[in-house]
Amino acid sequence: MFEQAISAMASVVVDPYLLGLIFATTILGVIIGVLPGLGATTGAALLLPFTLTMDPVHAIAVLATIYVSATFAGSITAILINTPGTSAAAATTFDGYPLAQKGEAGRALGIAVISSTVGGIFSVLILCFAAPLLARVAYEFRSPEYFALTVFGLSMLASISAGGAVKNLIGGIFGVWLSTIGAERVTGIERFMFGNYELYEGLHFVPIFIGLFAISELLVQSKTVDKIIKTVSMKAVKLPTLEDYKKIWKTILRSCGIGTFIGVLPAEGATVASMIGYSEARRWSKNKKEFGKGSIEGIAGAEAANNAATGGAMVPTMVLGIPGSGTTAIILVGLMVHGLRPGVYLFTEQVEKVYQIFGSMFVANVMFMLMGLYAAKLFARVSLVPTQILWPIVFALSVIGAYAFQGQLLDVWLALIFGVIGFFARRHGFSVAPIAVGLILGEMVETNLQHSLKMFDGAWWMILTQPLALMFLVFAFLGLCGPMIFSWITKQKD
Amino acid sequence: MKNIYLIPLILSIFSLAVIAIALQLDTSPEMIVGDSMQARSFPIFLMLLKLTLIGILTFQFYKNNPKPVALEKYHTWGSMFLFLLFYLLTVYTDMFIGIFVVIFLMSILWGERRIWVAFLTATITPGLVFLLFDYVLKIRFPRGILMNLYYG
Repeated sequence: MFEQAISAMASVVVDPYLLGLIFATTILGVIIGVLPGLGATTGAALLLPFTLTMDPVHAIAVLATIYVSATFAGSITAILINTPGTSAAAATTFDGYPLAQKGEAGRALGIAVISSTVGGIFSVLILCFAAPLLARVAYEFRSPEYFALTVFGLSMLASISAGGAVKNLIGGIFGVWLSTIGAERVTGIERFMFGNYELYEGLHFVPIFIGLFAISELLVQSKTVDKIIKTVSMKAVKLPTLEDYKKIWKTILRSCGIGTFIGVLPAEGATVASMIGYSEARRWSKNKKEFGKGSIEGIAGAEAANNAATGGAMVPTMVLGIPGSGTTAIILVGLMVHGLRPGVYLFTEQVEKVYQIFGSMFVANVMFMLMGLYAAKLFARVSLVPTQILWPIVFALSVIGAYAFQGQLLDVWLALIFGVIGFFARRHGFSVAPIAVGLILGEMVETNLQHSLKMFDGAWWMILTQPLALMFLVFAFLGLCGPMIFSWITKQKD
Repeated sequence: MKNIYLIPLILSIFSLAVIAIALQLDTSPEMIVGDSMQARSFPIFLMLLKLTLIGILTFQFYKNNPKPVALEKYHTWGSMFLFLLFYLLTVYTDMFIGIFVVIFLMSILWGERRIWVAFLTATITPGLVFLLFDYVLKIRFPRGILMNLYYG
C-alpha cells in the first residue's frame, strides 16, 4: 500500500500532461483567487463542466488545484488592495494591508506565499496519512452509522461561514428537501416533479451549484459596480529573512495544525480556519500590539491556516463523502460524476487514483508558491479588470456550463432560478453553502435512515444502541446545543 | 407588520405548501415499504423541522429587531430582467443570440460606456466558449436560428 501510494504520487511528476494541466490550472486558480467575488467555490463551479470529458484523475486534479491556488491567491488582493479575493483571506487584510501601506508589500506577500505553501503541503501530508486510517474506521460503518454521521455533518452546518446558526440550518434543510425532488429511490414514487420527467432522477448538483455560487455572486457583485479600487505599489516579492522566519515559524506550525483540524471537521472550512489561525497567532504572540498594524505573525497565522484547511477538508470529502466546505462539495460532485465513489471503496479499489489526486495537490502547492513569488505583481493587476466586463463573461460561462453538463436547457433555467434564490438568500443573511451541502447529504440521510429502519424493523430508537452512531448523534447534539448550554452554564456561574 | 417578518412568513408558506403537496403523494403498498417509511414522510418531517426553526428565527427577530434589508439597486433588478430576456431569446431565437444580447446589455447596464468594448465582449466571449465546447468537448448546442445554420 505504502509503495503503491508513493509511486502513484510520484507518477504525477513524470506525467507531462498532468503537470501541464496543473500548471495551467494554477495560473487560472490564482487569477480566480485575485478577482474579488470569484473565489475558489465559484471558480470550481464554473470549471466543473469543463472537466466532464477529462480522465477522472485529471478532472479532480483540476478542481483540487483551483481549490488550493485560489485559496492562496485571495491573499494577493487582500495585501495589495485591502480586498480579500476570497473570504478565506479576510483575516489577511488585518495585517497584510497595513504592512503594504508601510511600503513593505513585497515582504507581506513573501510571508503569505511561504506560510500558505507550508500550510498546504503540511495538510496534504496529513491527508495522505489520515485519509486511509479514517477509511479503515469507516469500513465498519453500516447504515445507522452513516445516517448518524450525515446528521452530524448537517448539524455542523450551524457554524458554516456567514449567517447565524438557525439560518444556516434552515438553508441546510432546504438543501436536503431539494434532494427529495424526483423519483423516490425505494418505491419509485414521484415527488415534487409536477409532471416534469427531466426531473425523474432528481435535481443534478452541477446546475444548482453554478446557480447558487456563480449566478448569485454575479447578482451580489451588481451592487458593487461603483466601487473604486485603490492599489498600493510594490517593487518585488521578498522572501522572508532569517529574522522573519525566527519570528513566525511557531505561528506557522500552530496554524498548520489548527487549519488541518478545522478543515477535517465536516462543513467547516478555510474561512473559519484563517480567523482562528489569526486569533491564535495574536493570543500567543509576544508582540500583540503589532497586530492590526502590519504584524507578520498575523499574516502567517491566517495564511498557513487557510491553506492547511484545504487538505484537511479533503479528508471527510474523500473518505466519508461529507464535504468540508463549499468547494469540496463541488469536488465531491466531480468525484461522483467521474464514477469515483467516495468512501472505503475509493481507498481499497482505487488507491492509485486517490494518491495521484493527493500528489496533484502537492504539486499545485509548489506551483502556486513559484507563481506567488515571481508573478504576484502581475496577477494583482488582473484584479483591476472592470466588473462590467468580468461578470457578463461569468454569465456566459455559467449558462453554457450548466447546459453542457447534460445537454438540457432545463439545467440552464435551474441555474438561473437558483442564482436568484441564492442571491435573495444571501441578501437576507442566509449562506448558500449549507443549501449545497444539504443537497449532497440529503440522499445519504434519507437512504440510510430507510435502511436503518428496515434493519431494526421500524424501531428507529435502535439506532441509538449502535455505539458509533450514538457517538455521532451526541456530537451533533453538542454541535447544535453546546454553545447554548455553555453560555447558560457561564451565566449561572456569573 | 414589519417587513423583516416577511422572510419567516414566506418560508412558512413555502413549508406549508410542501407539506400540502407531500400529503397528496401516492403511497406504496406495505409489502414494498415494510418497516421503512413512505415517500411522503421524509419531506414532511423536514418541513416540520424547518417550521420549528422558522419559529426560533422569528423569535430571534422579535428579540434583536434586525435592520430591514435595503432595496436592491437598479443594476441588480436589471440583471434579473436580463435573465428573463435571455430565457425568451433562447426559447424563441437562439441560445447564442441570448448570450450575446445579455452580455452586451449587462456591460452597458453595469456602467461600460465604450459601446465597442461591450460589443467585443459580447461577441468574443460566446465565440470562444462555443469553439471550446464544440471542438474540444464535443457538446451539441440546442437548435435555434444560428445553430440551424451551423449544424445544417
